[in-house]
Amino acid sequence: MQEPSERTQSAPPSDDSRRRFLSWLSRSFLGLWALGAAGVVGVYLKAPEKREHVAERLARVGPLGEFPVGEARLVRHGITPFYVVRLDATRLTAVSAVCTHVRCILGFDRERRALVCPCHDGRFDLAGNVLSGPPPRPLPTYEVTVRAGDVFVHLS
Amino acid sequence: MSDPGRDDPATPSRNGWVGWLEKRLNLTEIFSFLTHFGLVYAPVDTTRPVREVVRELGNQPVPSYTRGPRVLGLLAAILFALQGITGVLLAYYYRPTPEAAFESTRTIVRDLPAGWFIHQMHHWGAYLLVAIVALRLIRFFWDGLYRAPREVLWWSAVIMAWLVVQLDFTGRLLVWDSRSYWSTVRGLEVVWAVPIVGPVLAFFLGGRVVNEDVLIRFYVLHLLVLPALYLAFLYFTFATLRRVGLSTAGATPAGPTTTFRRHLYSMLILSVLVFAVIVTLAMLLPFRFLGAADPYATPHGIRPPWYMLAPYALLQKSSMPAWLSGAGLLAAGLGLLLLPLWTRREQGWTSPQRMRLWGVIALGIWVALSAAGLLIDRLQVPR
Repeated sequence: MQEPSERTQSAPPSDDSRRRFLSWLSRSFLGLWALGAAGVVGVYLKAPEKREHVAERLARVGPLGEFPVGEARLVRHGITPFYVVRLDATRLTAVSAVCTHVRCILGFDRERRALVCPCHDGRFDLAGNVLSGPPPRPLPTYEVTVRAGDVFVHLS
Repeated sequence: MSDPGRDDPATPSRNGWVGWLEKRLNLTEIFSFLTHFGLVYAPVDTTRPVREVVRELGNQPVPSYTRGPRVLGLLAAILFALQGITGVLLAYYYRPTPEAAFESTRTIVRDLPAGWFIHQMHHWGAYLLVAIVALRLIRFFWDGLYRAPREVLWWSAVIMAWLVVQLDFTGRLLVWDSRSYWSTVRGLEVVWAVPIVGPVLAFFLGGRVVNEDVLIRFYVLHLLVLPALYLAFLYFTFATLRRVGLSTAGATPAGPTTTFRRHLYSMLILSVLVFAVIVTLAMLLPFRFLGAADPYATPHGIRPPWYMLAPYALLQKSSMPAWLSGAGLLAAGLGLLLLPLWTRREQGWTSPQRMRLWGVIALGIWVALSAAGLLIDRLQVPR
């Protein structure tokens, strides 16, 4: 803005500079209005991120008898599907079924006891560690408990 | 459009319903609206009766759009209109929710009379439209039609090509069978790698999961937002054409080659031919469905859409980090859009001949990468 410097040149502010100031003012006012409108539209359009509800963090998967040793079962649980694998007679593990690379759903390789991504051939072991391929992070694993013969998975 | 061939004397008694309407509203004004979308080339005097104007226009000499490389723009317009018609028909039955999307598509294709035909037309029309818009861009590039004063024309051509690709990409998710679902996931994989664009899209889609929010967003974009933008840029195309004139590059020497009436007939013949090609393709190579999309099961061997195979190959098989190839993609896209700004000089490495060379090299790299992207999954058979 040139206002102060122009005032020193001519004692009363000229009509021209006043006009310029007012047009600047109204333009920035309209600009703010547009910014606000853009903000409202942007916030409205942003889809809410899907999160698990508190009640969904404990998943009841089924009776222990339905899990043969060495088999994995895909549990279709919201946006965090996971595998429950019975490692041996006493140990169960739950590991996410969503590849950490581009969210393809992993398949279970029974012979190698590994999780294999059908998109980029990324491989994970049953503890979630990356064996090979492009995945950048290990898979999340979840705590499994057995209560009264039922298997529960705690999604943290 | 009224019949330009009939030779009515301009007596009020024989004007019939046109005369009746003309007393009540200005038909010529409505007719002159067509000039904005390039259907009529000359300005129209709206104070005169419509029949007179149409008759006069029919005999006016115009450069023909249906000959030589210019036909690509007209083909794109015809195909876009066809996609609009079949798309509206499909929309009467389609339901954009994950539960109903596949069911409703299957109802259209399997249960409704001629539903399969309309779906096939839309499917093959989309393929052809993407291909023709790409060819048009290549032709513009080859003939140097991005140089002054045709910059705006180039920009609208690039943006229209981009809009058509977006229309195709959003449209193929709507089928919601397992191929459409997972090829969208794999195509978005490319988009996530692009800086700025990826995060902004992730913001609007609410994360990087393809779910019901993404479906309804793609639906609105596909039916409303993108076609409206396309029409706007169609208008821009002709608005700038009226200023800078038709190009003469690659066509017969400058000057009118036909009359407007004959041009309209050629356009009609061309539309019939386009229709015939699409019907033939739909009959010989029908689109096949897989089962309904299952977000909990990724099938093997699903590729991103064909126009995304090149960046896909770059992301898959190069040792470059993803953000670098994404940034390269963004730079290439912006470079293409801003081509008129960095090729102002007629000498040196941006001279017309050199630019053709760079274009051929770039296209060669793109084709080679696409072929690589096509072959990646063939070699990667599940053991």
